[in-house]
Amino acid sequence: MKKVLALFLVSILLLSACSSGSKEKANSGNAKDTKEITVWAWDPNFNIKAMNLAKEAYKSENPDLKIKIVENAQADIVQKLNTSLSSGTTKGLPNIVLIEDYRAQSFLKAYPDMFQELTGSFKAADFAPYKLAPTSLDGKNYGLPFDTGVTGLYVRTDYLEKAGYKVADLKDIDWKKYIEIGKKVKEATGKQMLTLDPKDLGLIRMMIQTSGSWYLKKDGVTPDIAGNAALKEAFKTYKEILDADLVKPVSDWSQFVAGFNSGDVATVPTGNWITPSIKSEASQAGKWAVVAMPKQTGINGSVNASNLGGSSWYVLNIPGKEKAMDFLAKTFGSNVDFYQTLNKEMGAIGTYKPAAEGEAYKAADEFFGGQKIISDFASWTEQIPQVNYGMHTYAIEDIIAVGMQDYLKGKDIDKVLADAQKQAEEQIK
Amino acid sequence: MVENMRFIPDRFKHNGLFIVMFFITVMMIITVSVTITWTTIRMSEQFFIKKFSITNSKVMNQVKESFESLNYSVVIASNNLLSSGNIRRVLTEEESNAEKMNSFFYMSQQMKHIKSNLDAYEIEIVVAGRNGVNYATERNYWPISDEELRKSVITRNTLEEPKRLMYQYDHRNNQITGLGDGNVIVASRALMDRISGKVYGSLYFAIQESEIRKFYSSYTSPGNNVYVLDKTGVIVSSNQGKLIGKKADNFLSYASGMKNNSHKYIIKNFMGKEQIILMEYLPSFDMYLFNVIDKQTAIGDLINKKEIVLISIGIVLVALVIVFLASRRLTNSLSRLVKQIANASKYDFHQYVCETDTYETRQIGNAINSMLDELHEYVDKLVLAQKQQRNAELAALQQQINPHFLYNTLTSIKFMVLQGGKEDTEATINALISLLQNTIGNVSETVSVKQELDNLKNYVFINQKRYGNRIKVNYFVAQDCEEHQIPKLLLQPFMENSFFHGFNHKPEGYINVLVWQEGDNLICEVVDNGDGMEGSLESNLPHTKRKQQLFSGIGVKNVHERIQLIYGEPYGVTISSKLGEGTKVRIYLPIKEI
Repeated sequence: MKKVLALFLVSILLLSACSSGSKEKANSGNAKDTKEITVWAWDPNFNIKAMNLAKEAYKSENPDLKIKIVENAQADIVQKLNTSLSSGTTKGLPNIVLIEDYRAQSFLKAYPDMFQELTGSFKAADFAPYKLAPTSLDGKNYGLPFDTGVTGLYVRTDYLEKAGYKVADLKDIDWKKYIEIGKKVKEATGKQMLTLDPKDLGLIRMMIQTSGSWYLKKDGVTPDIAGNAALKEAFKTYKEILDADLVKPVSDWSQFVAGFNSGDVATVPTGNWITPSIKSEASQAGKWAVVAMPKQTGINGSVNASNLGGSSWYVLNIPGKEKAMDFLAKTFGSNVDFYQTLNKEMGAIGTYKPAAEGEAYKAADEFFGGQKIISDFASWTEQIPQVNYGMHTYAIEDIIAVGMQDYLKGKDIDKVLADAQKQAEEQIK
Repeated sequence: MVENMRFIPDRFKHNGLFIVMFFITVMMIITVSVTITWTTIRMSEQFFIKKFSITNSKVMNQVKESFESLNYSVVIASNNLLSSGNIRRVLTEEESNAEKMNSFFYMSQQMKHIKSNLDAYEIEIVVAGRNGVNYATERNYWPISDEELRKSVITRNTLEEPKRLMYQYDHRNNQITGLGDGNVIVASRALMDRISGKVYGSLYFAIQESEIRKFYSSYTSPGNNVYVLDKTGVIVSSNQGKLIGKKADNFLSYASGMKNNSHKYIIKNFMGKEQIILMEYLPSFDMYLFNVIDKQTAIGDLINKKEIVLISIGIVLVALVIVFLASRRLTNSLSRLVKQIANASKYDFHQYVCETDTYETRQIGNAINSMLDELHEYVDKLVLAQKQQRNAELAALQQQINPHFLYNTLTSIKFMVLQGGKEDTEATINALISLLQNTIGNVSETVSVKQELDNLKNYVFINQKRYGNRIKVNYFVAQDCEEHQIPKLLLQPFMENSFFHGFNHKPEGYINVLVWQEGDNLICEVVDNGDGMEGSLESNLPHTKRKQQLFSGIGVKNVHERIQLIYGEPYGVTISSKLGEGTKVRIYLPIKEI
């Protein structure tokens, strides 16, 4: 009796002693070594997707490197970069960041030591020359050119035919011809030629870049508004288009997309990145074609090629930069196959010239009636005049937009540009 | 096997008290410790929950303030838009495209100004006019098309109550820009000319859900979640992104429950876990702000239940060991006592009880022992009294020489005298004299074997003289036995029995008297070859019909009692008999020299 009880008690004690002693866990494995790099970009359908493809492609090169891709709105990226870089802290910053070409110079000039020089890590000559100006500073490369904002004129062939035009009639035209055609199309179909957002002067920018001109002079600092013949011509053209009532006004992006998806407009003069949006309306397959951008009337050296938007990758001068550089150089910097994948998977056109030789670039697109649009865009890319976007593209555009309204209301063009020049000089000094 | 079976119940029998006591104590200790542990845990949980809910309701109030300030910004912005003549013109008048371009531009300038009120938040403003003109600052996070907007529930609700600024949840799959997660809370208001009461459009502030989430996300943690529900029970914002847009009806019932009573918090089972739920009503949003805290994560770490339980178990075990040893000690003495008492009767009350251990058991032992002493005394006295009574009885019987015997014998002698047998007469008278002398005169209890045999011979002689010599009597006495002492008149009754009853049918025969020594025993046998008796009852003494013995008062029946009275149990008389073959009487006695 006694023994049984004693055994029972002892076994309970032992059990309770055992159960309390098994709760230790190895908590090791801290990633202090930079085995991970972070990338910031916007637009999950385009930039993020491209980065993910690059990550896949890089796996064969260096499978150990972890690449963390973070999606942020462009405005957030700009804000975060400005806050962090101006305060001098690098904490929380990514290794690689995507910056729009129009804004690139303002960052490079404001924080030159915070960006890692990429000169020599890729062959600059292999990229479209117009991309090199905004991504470089003092002859040094800082950005690795990514997508092209090469523009084209997307046209509705069915509407044109109703007005008695063929696609060939729109090849390499100037804006004068465009307005002429527009009037006919409107007469024949009742459709407007294009949509315009009064606060976004993208059309003006596209126009003046065909002539190798910009809001700023070559130094990237001095406003070039008064006496800028290309800009003056662009203003005139803009007014003529409006006066001819070829415009359907829109106030935002979704109205812009709805404009062509619903068949309200006959043309869309914009960057090639609009292709997916145009193709999203499958019922319009075969009704679209892309021709080169109209050039400016009466401006010497104006070509049928321009650019709108586009961005490039930058490496920040923080730990892990070597790995980030290597990653970029071996994907966006030199990998032809990668660019083919990029094009096949998402229709993206890079600015890497050797990639244009690839198969994917030569493929015909049935949506555009069998036109080899990628190949066309690639050839236009090479013709885009190189301009220095400088530091103040958007600031000056706000001033010009007000001037434009004045001009549309009847103010003298020279006075408008002179006033804008004065205001810009005061503001950006 | 059988041994064992009996062994265990025996042990249990004597430990019964201990087992009952021990198990009751065990049950009590366990009950008490479990109750106390449980109560302690409950109480501290209650305490923590109370503290917790106070701090969390403060946090909730702060969050509520953030909501209010957002609402205020939206109200100011919407008032600005309402009072704008430019906007009213654009939304009411039919304009040419060129004029529209101009209006859009100025609207954008105005919007920039108005939006500065809302700079702290990621908000998109959409204005829709009755004339079909729509204006949006941007639609990155709320990619609703003009057509969709016109037909949406949001617009319908807004126009139904044109004077109210209302907040509604909306979800759009964001295919174009791919920004955000498509969850927005739309503040909407009808654009109404207050004087004429005419509604000329509606305005929308699309607030990204993540903006709302910022108000409270810093307070949340795993297990501490916040849900914002609209009045239809749809979760419009939460740090649990997956649940946004889902219906949560049970929350609504909590809300009405919590509105009605004054409880600051309730505890409910939600998503399979016990949760502490706090609620704030956001009047300007007409929404409910819920703070749901997993009880386990909130207070699970504060109270180490495992440790408390382990400590309790430890204490209980120690207590049990102590109780076991102590009560064992106490009850051991008692059970030993019980064991001794229980066996006392088996050992004729000679087994005394040990007077040890505790005071109580000592006293009991003492009492029992003195009781046993007295008992012995009584028994001894009783035995003595009985012996004396028996002796007296026997002595009385011994004295009673049957007058008939004397009469008959004397009659026989008279006839002998008449016949002239002088020698025969003399011998018979001599035998009678010595017989009477030995039975009456000698009052000492025992006689030697030789004396007893002399008496027997005299008795036989007298009887043979009276009845003839047809029954022969032989004596075989071992030489060394002659001086042993035996009770008086031991053999005479058996001789008488054989003489007068053994030969009723047989005309003649013999009776042998044998005396010898075997070890420490003296054995006497009276064997006849007479009629014998019926029955197999060997030890039974024959039933004599006569009440009176022929010679003295002592009969066959008395002999056995007498022997046992004098010498004890092991001794006595055995009789074996067979019909027609004779009877054998054997008497066992201890050897006693004088």
